[in-house]
Amino acid sequence: MSAPAIRIASMNKYYGHFHALKGIDLEVARGEKIVICGPSGSGKSTLIRCINRLEEHQSGVIEVNGIELNDNVDNIEEIRREAGMVFQNFNLFPHMTVLENCTLAPILARKIGRAEAEKTAMEYLTRVKIPEQAHKYPGELSGGQQQRVAIARALCMAPEIMLFDEPTSALDPEMISEVLDVMVGLAKDGMTMVCVTHEMGFARQVADRVIFMADGEIVEQGPPEEFFVNPKSDRTKTFLSQILA
Amino acid sequence: MTASVMPAALSRQPVLGVLKKKYFATRLDAAVTVLFAAFIAWIVWSLVNWGVLDAVFGPNQGDVCREDLEGGACWSVVSTRWRIVLFGLYPFEEQWRSGIACIAMVVVAILSCIPWFWSARRLPVLWVVGFATFYVLMRGGFLGLAEVTEQNWGGLSLTIFIFAAVSLLGMPLAIIFALLRRSKLPWIARTMALVIDTIRSLPLLTIMFTFAIVMPFVLPDWAIGDKLYRVIVGYALFFACYQAEIIRGGMQALPNGQEEAAKALGLGYWHRIGYIILPQAFRNALPPTINQFVITFKETSLVTIIGFFDVMASGRAASGTAEWNFAVVEMYVFVALIFYVFVFSLSRYGAYLERRLGVGRR
Ligand SMILES: Nc1ncnc2c1ncn2[C@@H]1O[C@H](COP(=O)(O)OP(=O)(O)O)[C@@H](O)[C@H]1O
Ligand SMILES: [Mg+2]
Repeated sequence: MSAPAIRIASMNKYYGHFHALKGIDLEVARGEKIVICGPSGSGKSTLIRCINRLEEHQSGVIEVNGIELNDNVDNIEEIRREAGMVFQNFNLFPHMTVLENCTLAPILARKIGRAEAEKTAMEYLTRVKIPEQAHKYPGELSGGQQQRVAIARALCMAPEIMLFDEPTSALDPEMISEVLDVMVGLAKDGMTMVCVTHEMGFARQVADRVIFMADGEIVEQGPPEEFFVNPKSDRTKTFLSQILA
Repeated sequence: MTASVMPAALSRQPVLGVLKKKYFATRLDAAVTVLFAAFIAWIVWSLVNWGVLDAVFGPNQGDVCREDLEGGACWSVVSTRWRIVLFGLYPFEEQWRSGIACIAMVVVAILSCIPWFWSARRLPVLWVVGFATFYVLMRGGFLGLAEVTEQNWGGLSLTIFIFAAVSLLGMPLAIIFALLRRSKLPWIARTMALVIDTIRSLPLLTIMFTFAIVMPFVLPDWAIGDKLYRVIVGYALFFACYQAEIIRGGMQALPNGQEEAAKALGLGYWHRIGYIILPQAFRNALPPTINQFVITFKETSLVTIIGFFDVMASGRAASGTAEWNFAVVEMYVFVALIFYVFVFSLSRYGAYLERRLGVGRR
C-alpha cells in the first residue's frame, strides 16, 4: 500500500504530430489534493484524461495505485474503477433517472446487488444534498444539481481517487459554490483529488499543491501559499495576474 | 403563450361561431368551403352506395353480383374466399393451425410493444416462444398433426412470418453491422462500409432472386435449406444494411461525452454499447426505424415474384377464377385493408413511442 496514488514519469502524448504533453513527471500521494491550472490549450484536460486512459500516452509510465496503464484492458478497467472522473459538461446519461445513473456502474462493473447499490446511491445523493431528485431525469435538473449528481455517480464506485476536469466552468455563477462545497467536503474526508480548475479560492482552501501548466509542460508547482504569493516564472505571474484581476 | 390559451377560448365559443370564423370568413372562403363540402359529400355518398347500400355481402352469391344492375360492390368474393387470402394453399382442414399461428405471432408482436417486455432477457424469450409456436403449428408432423411443408404455406400467415423473421434476423445483424462499421480497426470499418454500400445499391428483387435461385448452385448441399429461408436471409441482409445506417446515424448524434463517461466509470465495451450507446441511438433513430419497418412489411409482397403465395398473390388468386374474375377490385380493397391495418398500427405505435421516450430527454 506504499505505492503513490498516481505516478507519472517522463510521459509524452501526441495528437498526430502535435506534441500535447512533453515529458510530464508527477507523483500524487494518497490523500493529496492537487489543483492544476494554466491557460486554455495547455494540456490540462489531456493530462487528466491520460490518467484514466480516455487518452492514450505514447511513451513514459503512468501508474495508478501501483497498477501500470498499458494495453491490458483489465488493467485499464481496474484503474477506471479506482479513479472517478467528473467532467465539465456533466455527461449524465439522459435516458436514465438520477438513481439509475448512480447505480448502473456499481451493479455492472462492481457486481453489487441492486438493493445495496441503491442504498449506497441514496447515501451519496444525500451527501451532495439532492436525495429528493433521485427519480427525476437529468434533463429536469439545474446545471449545479446535475454536476452534483455526476459527483455522486462517481463516488458510488467507491473510488480511491477523484479526477475533476473544470467541474464548474459550464455552470452559472450562482451554482458554482454548491458544487465547490461538495468538493471541499470530499477533500476534508481525505479523498485523493486531482482538480483542473481556475477557482483559486478553492485551491487556496484545499490544495496541498498547485500545478501550473503551459504548452504541454509543468512549468511550476508548489503549495498554494507559496504559489500565489511568490510565483517564480514569468508565465505564472502573467497567468495569475490575468485570472485574479 | 397564445397556443395554450387558444383551445380553451375556442371551446367556449358556440360551434356555429367557430365554423363561421374558420370556414366562412370571406365570400371566397365560403365558396371554397361549399364546393369542397359538396365534393367530399359526393365521394362519400358514392362510396357508401357502392360499398354498403348496393353491395352484396353474403357468401356464394356470385350469380347475384353478376346480375346486380346497381353496380354495387360484390363483397361476396371476400366472404366466400377469404380463407385463400389468409392461408393461401394451406390444406383446408388444417387452416385452423395457420390461424392460431398467425394470432400467436400478432400477440407476440403486440406484447413486445409493451415496455415491461423491453429487457434483454424477456424480449428474446418472448420471440423464441412466438416463433417456435408458429413454426410447430404451421409445420406440424407430430402428435397427429399432419405435416405441411413450407411450399404450402401462404397468404397472410406467410406474409407475417416473412416480416417477423426478416425483422428479427435483420435487427441484430443491423446492430452488428453498425458496430463493425465504427470499429477502431480501419480495415474492419472499411470492409463493412463497402458491404453495406454494395448491398444497399442493389434492388431488393435482385437480392431475392440471387438467394432463391442462384445460391443453390453456389452453396454446399447442407447449407441450401428451403427456398423460403434463403429468401428470408437475403431480405434480412438487405434490411440490416439499411437499418445499420439508421442506427449509425443515431449513434453519431450522441455527444462523445456519453461514451467517455461510461468508460470513466469502468464499464466494459458491451456494457457501454448495451446500456448507454444503443438505447440512446435507438431513441434518436426511432422515426426512421419505424419507417424502415413499414417499408419492409409492404415490400414482403415482392416474394410473389419468386413464386411465393403471400397475401397479395393469394388475393389475386382468390379473385382469379372464372367464377370471380369480375370482383378483382373488391379483393384488392380487402387486401389493401389488411395492409392498412398493419401499417397504420405500426405508425401509431411509432408515434406513441416517440411521445413516451421524449420524457427522459427534455
Ligand atoms: N482530440 C484531439 N485531437 C487533436 N488535438 C487535440 C485533441 N484534444 C486536444 N488537442 C489539443 O491539445 C492541446 C491541449 O488540449 P487540452 O488538454 O484540451 O487543453 P486544456 O484542457 O488545457 O485547455 C490543445 O492545443 C488542443 O488543441
Ligand atoms: Mg480542458
